[in-house]
Amino acid sequence: MEFDGEQSQIDFMVKREVERQVNIQKKKDHKDLGAADNEKVDYFQKIFNEKYYEIFNLITNTKNLSKSDLPDYFNNISNDILTLQKYVAASSLFLRNYDIKKCQQSLNDLTIKCKLLEEELLPKKRFGFKNKTKPNKIDANSHTKIDVVDSKNDKIIDFKANFCGYHDKKSVKLCLRSDEIYKKDVTLENLEDCQITLLGTPSTLHLNHIKDCTILSGPVSTSIFIENCENSNLSIACQQLRLHSSKNVTIFLHVTSRAIMEDCTDIIFGPYNFHYQDKESDFAHAGLDLNINNWKSIDDFNWLNIDKPSPNWRLFEPPDD
Amino acid sequence: MGFLTVLKKMKQKEKEIRILMLGLDNAGKTTILKRFNGEPIDTISPTLGFNIKTLEHKGFKLNMWDVGGQKSLRSYWRNYFECTDGLIWVVDSADKRRLEDCKKELYVLLQEERLAGATLLIFANKQDLPGACTVEELKDILDLESIKTHHWKIVSCSAVTGENLLKGIDWIVEDIAARIFTLD
Repeated sequence: MEFDGEQSQIDFMVKREVERQVNIQKKKDHKDLGAADNEKVDYFQKIFNEKYYEIFNLITNTKNLSKSDLPDYFNNISNDILTLQKYVAASSLFLRNYDIKKCQQSLNDLTIKCKLLEEELLPKKRFGFKNKTKPNKIDANSHTKIDVVDSKNDKIIDFKANFCGYHDKKSVKLCLRSDEIYKKDVTLENLEDCQITLLGTPSTLHLNHIKDCTILSGPVSTSIFIENCENSNLSIACQQLRLHSSKNVTIFLHVTSRAIMEDCTDIIFGPYNFHYQDKESDFAHAGLDLNINNWKSIDDFNWLNIDKPSPNWRLFEPPDD
Repeated sequence: MGFLTVLKKMKQKEKEIRILMLGLDNAGKTTILKRFNGEPIDTISPTLGFNIKTLEHKGFKLNMWDVGGQKSLRSYWRNYFECTDGLIWVVDSADKRRLEDCKKELYVLLQEERLAGATLLIFANKQDLPGACTVEELKDILDLESIKTHHWKIVSCSAVTGENLLKGIDWIVEDIAARIFTLD
């Protein structure tokens, strides 16, 4: 009995020892695996840097080459850069974000360096296959180079071309008819003490630097953008209203989505009150629903407290009589 | 294998792309997003904060972030920069008065280190309006040729008609995919 007991105890101990060894091996393997992970990054960095300097040297060497060899030489460089880029992409699995960004930055630098050099040494090459990738650039370049004066003139003319609306007026009464503003981007700018009526449906409406004016507008199918407006009365309809840097403005509004205001004070909102002959058909043309009017839903970007109403605007109260 | 590696592996498996859409207010960012996603565009309000849409396109999963462009929201844009693969800059081509503003804001973004390496698509929106600037004019005014830090392209489009939206998105997705996913 005693002998058997001893034997089984020895067996047990041997078994235990084997288990222990296996465990140690397992832990060691695991550790090695972790180390391999770390080594991967180092290994990548090493290869990347080697390749980077190889390409860098290739680029610096171009100046010593004869012109006939250059096209092939540049082709090889861009192929090398592409290969390196693919290598980065393939390794992105175990790289940190920072590493990827740094590598991409280096690759970008190489590409730009290479391109600049290529343009410098092989100006004619632009009309080769490079042409396909950026024809616009070449057009724009040659254009600006050949006749700078002309293009500048074009630009100035264009800013006022297609202008629809009024600017720089004082103390006048003006009106635009439906066919003049239909589906257009209408702008009213630098007006003082004017009365403007827009009959019909513009696509958008911009108001800027408006002082002591009354502006009446038919339904605008998309947005109205108002900036720097003061001491004025507006009666406007639109899908969305954006009101900026304005003060003391009374707005009789029809808005089918919502209105926002930013950096404004003393704004009064009332329901749309501009009535004219073709109002109903104009609303239909503009795609605005006459029955949906959210003129009370104003979001003030300078007032994020939802419990208290914004001090920057209030609802219109009809005078008692 | 660390948590981030797991995440990255999942991202690669699902081919996820994160796209940030920015621009001045009233440029049409939300309208582009909704039009591209086939949603109605006539009920859109000015964006308070941001919208996120996840769409499947060409086998990729696009996470599109549309952040409001009001002045008071622009300082929050940077909260969305992290992990951005592509930036869509939306321009109201008809709003000539604010193009200088538009240029200034764009160049501030391009300086941003966390957006380094992101592909840049410029949507010249509102081409349906008669006074809209052309792509060539915008290139000039916004001085796009000077951008050397990002892959970029400008595409004229109209969110209202849907014109060219697909062309622009296809380009940005292809450019990003070529960069971050291995060709398989």
